[in-house]
Amino acid sequence: MPTPLRLLLIAGVAVAGLFLPALAGGSPAIYSAAVLIAIFAVMSYGLDTIVSDLGEVSLAHTVFFGIGAYVTALLSVRLDLGPIATLLGTIVAALIAAGVLGLITLRLREFVFSLVTYAVAVVAITVASSWSFIGGSDGLRGIPPFELPLIGFTAKDDAALWPVAYVLLLATLYLMHAFRRSRLGHAAIMVHLNPRLATMSGIAPQRTRLQIFLLSAPITAAAGWLYAYQRAFVSADVLETYFLILMLTAVVLVGRRRLLAPLIGVIIIQVQEKFFPFGGYVDKIILGSILILVLAYLPNGLAGLIAPLVAAGRRAVARKAAPSPSNTEA
Amino acid sequence: MVSRAQISRRGFALGTVAALAATGPALAQAGGPVKVGVIFPLSGGAGPQGQHVTQAIQVMAALINAKGGVLGRQIEIVSRDDESTPAIGVSRANELISAGVSVIIEGWNSPVTLAMQPVINRAGILDITAISKADPILSGEGNPLAIRLNSSNSQDGAVIADYVAKVAKAKRIAFLTENDAYGNGAQASIEAELKKLGYAYEKVAEEKFPFTQADFRVALTSVRAANPEVTIAINANEGLGMPALIRQAKQSRLPGKLVAAVGTIAPSVISVAGDAADGLIGADIYFPNVEPFASNPANKEFVAKTQEMFKYEPDKFMALGAGALQAWAMAVNEVKSLDKEPVAKRIRGGSFKNTIFGEMDFEPNGQLKSRHYLFTVKGQKLVVDTKPN
Repeated sequence: MPTPLRLLLIAGVAVAGLFLPALAGGSPAIYSAAVLIAIFAVMSYGLDTIVSDLGEVSLAHTVFFGIGAYVTALLSVRLDLGPIATLLGTIVAALIAAGVLGLITLRLREFVFSLVTYAVAVVAITVASSWSFIGGSDGLRGIPPFELPLIGFTAKDDAALWPVAYVLLLATLYLMHAFRRSRLGHAAIMVHLNPRLATMSGIAPQRTRLQIFLLSAPITAAAGWLYAYQRAFVSADVLETYFLILMLTAVVLVGRRRLLAPLIGVIIIQVQEKFFPFGGYVDKIILGSILILVLAYLPNGLAGLIAPLVAAGRRAVARKAAPSPSNTEA
Repeated sequence: MVSRAQISRRGFALGTVAALAATGPALAQAGGPVKVGVIFPLSGGAGPQGQHVTQAIQVMAALINAKGGVLGRQIEIVSRDDESTPAIGVSRANELISAGVSVIIEGWNSPVTLAMQPVINRAGILDITAISKADPILSGEGNPLAIRLNSSNSQDGAVIADYVAKVAKAKRIAFLTENDAYGNGAQASIEAELKKLGYAYEKVAEEKFPFTQADFRVALTSVRAANPEVTIAINANEGLGMPALIRQAKQSRLPGKLVAAVGTIAPSVISVAGDAADGLIGADIYFPNVEPFASNPANKEFVAKTQEMFKYEPDKFMALGAGALQAWAMAVNEVKSLDKEPVAKRIRGGSFKNTIFGEMDFEPNGQLKSRHYLFTVKGQKLVVDTKPN
């Protein structure tokens, strides 16, 4: 497909996506679901870079999500700062935390890496729920609505917040796309698949790992930033395993290193949870079972299940369309 | 409505849109039932208690419906499970808002309540918190028209402080406190209330322990050595920690009186602790079969209907859930409106007669004024001092 046409098509789909909640009925529940899907998808993309590109499982990404939410709450409630300033604060705080965590885990691999990141998450939730400066177990309340006075924009409900969430999602998708085509993206994959070859090719694996961490953390933290405005209340629960399981499942469910996979994963999980719930126990069993099945039997996610069928379909279509071999030879 | 076949034909994205559309707002038609949203944990650790509170609200709805409902319409309870998770609670609140409920009765865990408050408030729906205890619930930040039935930490602290200073007249006080937000907050409120009374006392021992602890023998040895006149036990682990603490206190021959923090002595605690519970002192706000509740016709009716529908006796938490619906229904029938503002204003600072709690009085900030009753355990039974504190 020629590039301008392709760009036009992508732009068309992107603009159309903005109107999806309105087309789906436009009720407060629809907008609320749409905003949360966008926020949780952005949260998952941060983890996606670590899982899909670096090949490690970080269990500390709730910490970056929490940093975004807490920094936003503190800056907006205590210092009365607006969303642009809180976003900058979020990014700076996430970069510092990622730098520290990245340096600590620089030489760690696989389950040791996961264990250390899990320990960080446990420490974070304990600190958040007992440190009174950040609200302790009562959390931080009174976060003002998302407001940009320069352009006269105020989002008092989820319908008004949706364009912001959608723009954040589009920006994240673009960033992920650009990252996977960049030198850093290629270096990450090489470090992941063949660290020796990477070193021989002049790539410093440890520097690459740190850079990926520094890219990943602000993405997940930006989701926490918008989540604070959406919920108007932040407490230690933003660090709970609910969010960790949600992002891990979203990342592996559809397939790794596919641009839209985490988004589709979050849509599947959230639509089931919000519109077709089976109750707390059954929902958790379903989510856990899906995670087990995908990890044990579908290393390439649902896409791995569908891709052979699509390929078989294409072959069948090609066979029908192409003239028979005897005719071509004749 | 879109059929399954259509969804599969048009692919995933369109299917999602269709599914979302199918669950759009279903506002109650005039003359149809009035929907009352109820959000408590129905699964997980607090699941059994949340289910009981929801059932108690259903019992109260049946009683109100038998007497003509609200504004001549029947009450329909729409219940959801918050899974003790704030993010899920918020989703469920949004669902109920879309379902067109007139009020949401919620709240077992404080963080879940605090997360749901701004969402329900922004939607213009009345929000009544039944159980969650955190003080910020009434701060007005999440919901300027908040209403809460369960007693606050400071009310609970005041009744224990009152007992220590005026009944036991104890000067040597020890604390055995759960080391978390609840335990430390409860101890701080008791000490603050003692200070407010201007009561001079000596804190002779203070032992802290985690929620899951079941062995208190080392801590009790230190407390016993300090020879307290009153030991205040603050332990919300009613299934394990509290009965163990009571038994071990008896075994260690702890001197003086053992006093339990408000709301930590359920009948199950006494049955597990057995004879060791004799002499234990506590306080609470509701007892189904003790005066003044036993002879209160509204309470008798509620207890009998609960026995009939669910075959058990209601506890305090169930009474708080049912009381929330009862006060709301009375306010709606009086102001002849389902709108948030007039109903909330009638409840906040108002009082209601002939409820399951007798007379219910609300403070201007929405907090129900609790009447605490002191009790002593004798022969594994609660003997309630009928004079409210």
